[in-house]
Amino acid sequence: MGAVLLSELQMKAESRSYVDAMHGILAHGGWTTLAKPMLSGMSVTGFRFTVNRKLAADSSTVYNWMAENFLAADFLGITSSQQAGYSFDVTFPLYQKRAVSVIKRSIDHGMGAVFWKDGFVIAAGYDDERSELYYLDGSNDEHQIVPYADFGINRSPYWYYQVFDSRIELDELAVYKESCIQAIYKWETHDPMLPESHYACGRSAYDAIIHALRTGDYDRAGARQVFNDYAASKRDVQLYVDTLQGIWPQLSAAAACYTRLSQLFAEIVGITDSAEETASEAEWIRLVMDARQTEEQAIQSMESFMRETIDNRYNDIALR
Amino acid sequence: MSSACLEHIRLIRESKSYTDSLYAVLTAAHIFNGPKYMLSGLSGMAFKFTVHEKLLPMSVTAYGQWGDEHWQAVNNLGVYTEWDGGRTRHPTFRYYQQDAVQAVKDSLDRGIGVIYWLPEFGVIYGYDDEDEVFYVQDGSSREGQIVLYHNFGLNSTPFWYCQVFGEHVHVARETMILESLRLAILDWETPYKTLPHTDIASGRMAYAFLRQGLEKGGFDEDGAVYILDNYLCARTEIRDYLQAVSGTWPELGQAFNLYDHLVCTVSGIKGCIKETAGLRRVDRRQVHELIAMLTAAESLEEQAISLFRAIAGKYPDLKRSTVPRWGTHSPR
Repeated sequence: MGAVLLSELQMKAESRSYVDAMHGILAHGGWTTLAKPMLSGMSVTGFRFTVNRKLAADSSTVYNWMAENFLAADFLGITSSQQAGYSFDVTFPLYQKRAVSVIKRSIDHGMGAVFWKDGFVIAAGYDDERSELYYLDGSNDEHQIVPYADFGINRSPYWYYQVFDSRIELDELAVYKESCIQAIYKWETHDPMLPESHYACGRSAYDAIIHALRTGDYDRAGARQVFNDYAASKRDVQLYVDTLQGIWPQLSAAAACYTRLSQLFAEIVGITDSAEETASEAEWIRLVMDARQTEEQAIQSMESFMRETIDNRYNDIALR
Repeated sequence: MSSACLEHIRLIRESKSYTDSLYAVLTAAHIFNGPKYMLSGLSGMAFKFTVHEKLLPMSVTAYGQWGDEHWQAVNNLGVYTEWDGGRTRHPTFRYYQQDAVQAVKDSLDRGIGVIYWLPEFGVIYGYDDEDEVFYVQDGSSREGQIVLYHNFGLNSTPFWYCQVFGEHVHVARETMILESLRLAILDWETPYKTLPHTDIASGRMAYAFLRQGLEKGGFDEDGAVYILDNYLCARTEIRDYLQAVSGTWPELGQAFNLYDHLVCTVSGIKGCIKETAGLRRVDRRQVHELIAMLTAAESLEEQAISLFRAIAGKYPDLKRSTVPRWGTHSPR
């Protein structure tokens, strides 16, 4: 009953998102040879764009983990088991016990597991004698430790885990097409889990950012983090749509837009704090407005490419 | 080859089919003791009231995303639960189906029944590996139906659902009651629980849909009777529940009085449903009386919910003042 460790597992935090953990696990398990940007696009996670209206630093992870992380795997043909909840809930100890046992079983099968440890991380090992889980958080190669008894105890009151159970073969082209539809849906639709007074999604997220920058009513350090996270997402999506245009030349306009979008986000991130905050804010506003316009065009191109499928889905384009 | 049969499980249809099923499973496993109206009240299920604009029979079970709604219901009882479900047309369904078949058998081996969508919710109370079948009670007879492992989840609707239960912890009675009131407020105040669809209304808005549906006349005959039957049953459950817990806060005593009055007010609904040629139908000549009763009932219910709000407002609500990372979502 010694320690079990999947020592080859690696995680690299980029968009600080779920896809960092997912890619690490699937690549290690030999379930995919795809690069992270491809997973980011196919799983639709790269197309998510949600912000807290005050640009709080955790914006990129404020979404419906249960609904969307399930789908992220499902879109790839990967089946999963997951649970989430509040650690202050009276039933939490029951779920905590079960979570640790499910994660250990996954590790026994050679697969890491996603869980929330103030960010999405990978459970890479455990030691029953010490009652500890080992995990990677993507910031370096060091394994971090969390005692079983502390699993799910975080700075925020959320606990979450997901294990990947199995995979089925999907038609790759169908997966790509579905991701285009879902990208349009994400652009147009507010996440019903989030109060609109505090959060904005897709197209509206750009408006919320511009409004925050104009009024100055936002968290400056948070804004930098938000821009960093989404710059990585937009970079992923750029590479993804670029691959798709190799298959469907009709997507070349969309690909060009995403290339520009990715550059704009690089510029946004590149603006350093100056003595005059207003100067960098003005520059940010200009770039974000440009980015909004550019992504709008990208989505329009995808819409015309996917017109028939969209029409067939009537009023609920996201429903497969 | 193994098998199991939990003979002591007995599903009796009287409330919402989910409540009936939950009651059958939890009482048989000695996880819940007490009358059904207590389970219906504490879980918040009694307060769920949804109506499709055409008064379709599906109204009664269309009270939201089942996974979320039922999780909250069961969680308030302190019971561990796992559910699975989705659209049977999705490519990953076959895998989830096989996974669920195993989970159901495991649960039955532990002596706990499983809730299953037939449609209408029922209870899987046995299995036999030799014939590769599950035994499912739907409340119509002791034996109920047989579902082949291979057909698990496939039914006349596009979705499947099953739910298993595990260990439980003790939850203070007052905590459970308070949460049940909050669930009631939420269902009352949320106009649409299955967005993006707005053809099914919840709570206060469901009253409007029901009245408009009856008034317009082109409604589903079976559905209208089913909605009204279930509506009456739920109001009686709420009344009995509030009577049982009325000592907890003075406002609950007042709320009980309102619901007692309400049950009296709507008791005439039974007389508006007539049997013709063996079929129970809303008597079209009495639609105006029906609507008048429902209007009076809505006002009473509104007052009762205000009392719930007064109680709920006295205590911090961590669950609803923290934005979750699960719950309401659009089906995809």
